[in-house]
Amino acid sequence: MSALKRVQQWATFARIWHIYNAAWQNPFHSSELIKKYLMGMHKPIYHPMNDCGDHVIVINSADIALPGDEWKKRVYFHHTGYPGGATWTLAWNLHEKDPTMIIKKAVYNSMDGNLQRRYTMQRLHIFPDENVPKELLGNVSNEIRQLRPMPKRLDDYPEKDVKEFPKVIDYPKDYVLR
Amino acid sequence: MSNSHLFLKPGFINVPLQNGVGRYVSQLQRVVLKFCKNNGSSRGMREFIESGLVNFAKENPGVVVYLKPRRHRSAVIKAEYLNGDEQWMSCRNSTQEEISKWLNLLVCQSKNHTGTRIRKLWHTDHPSIQGPWTPFTFRDPKLNLATFPNEELAKPKDSDVSNHERLIELFKKQKLGDLENRRGE
Repeated sequence: MSALKRVQQWATFARIWHIYNAAWQNPFHSSELIKKYLMGMHKPIYHPMNDCGDHVIVINSADIALPGDEWKKRVYFHHTGYPGGATWTLAWNLHEKDPTMIIKKAVYNSMDGNLQRRYTMQRLHIFPDENVPKELLGNVSNEIRQLRPMPKRLDDYPEKDVKEFPKVIDYPKDYVLR
Repeated sequence: MSNSHLFLKPGFINVPLQNGVGRYVSQLQRVVLKFCKNNGSSRGMREFIESGLVNFAKENPGVVVYLKPRRHRSAVIKAEYLNGDEQWMSCRNSTQEEISKWLNLLVCQSKNHTGTRIRKLWHTDHPSIQGPWTPFTFRDPKLNLATFPNEELAKPKDSDVSNHERLIELFKKQKLGDLENRRGE
């Protein structure tokens, strides 16, 4: 392989780093999206036999939003291998113990169980908040768009904006403000 | 489904040293025709030697032709190529026409192709003019200056205007209308 072709090879198979903000996002729908980037399925050169997957940094995994009553109903099963070693953990409980676990398991389960899955998972970096090590953040060159718009809470607005917000109605005189 | 292709050597169509561009060198170096002088199975070979062989040798001056009579053996063509390949071909009971056709094939081909699986029916040294794809082709140049994580880039593309924003827009318009009214007075 000539020097030029070798560089061409490096350029084509360069690993790109993506960042994904998981705040207010459904982890099970997001995992289908993240999986495509991890496996390199978004690239025109994709083939199951070539190693063209990218790195994905997931931030704010503590702020994921599960649909419906899934926090209470979704159960994560684990077996230690010993008799009586089975445990069932509810999603809210698991999230309390490790806020990165739900999204990690969602991505892991979204991929086919083959020999490549563990290595693909090594390219996924999940952080419960926005504190990403600088050496990782320096690699990032693309942001994956979120699936749903992030709603803004009232306490996120500056106080001035809240006070100047146009008044739509007047409260009735006998209305009790609590 | 057969697995016979597993034992075939995969390869591409290629030409040695740009053969045929400018000049053509026949890649067949030597051909040995082995036959029996009296057995019926080499009758076609004997007929070919009597009628067609001299013409063949004249048309292909670059090919060395050997004749090798062997008692009580079937007829065989053995070809040797410039790249060192050897090809052995049984011509038992074949007619004169068949032999001349096979010889023609040996003269035309550049090496021994038997036992190779051609991976594609075409081959080129320059598959693309613009160059192979890289992650940076067709990339939005504004991403070069963006800092990550970026709120604008994270927004979904089809996000609608919220009622909150609509209300603020209406409020601003109302304010402007009020200003103009005051000026009109």
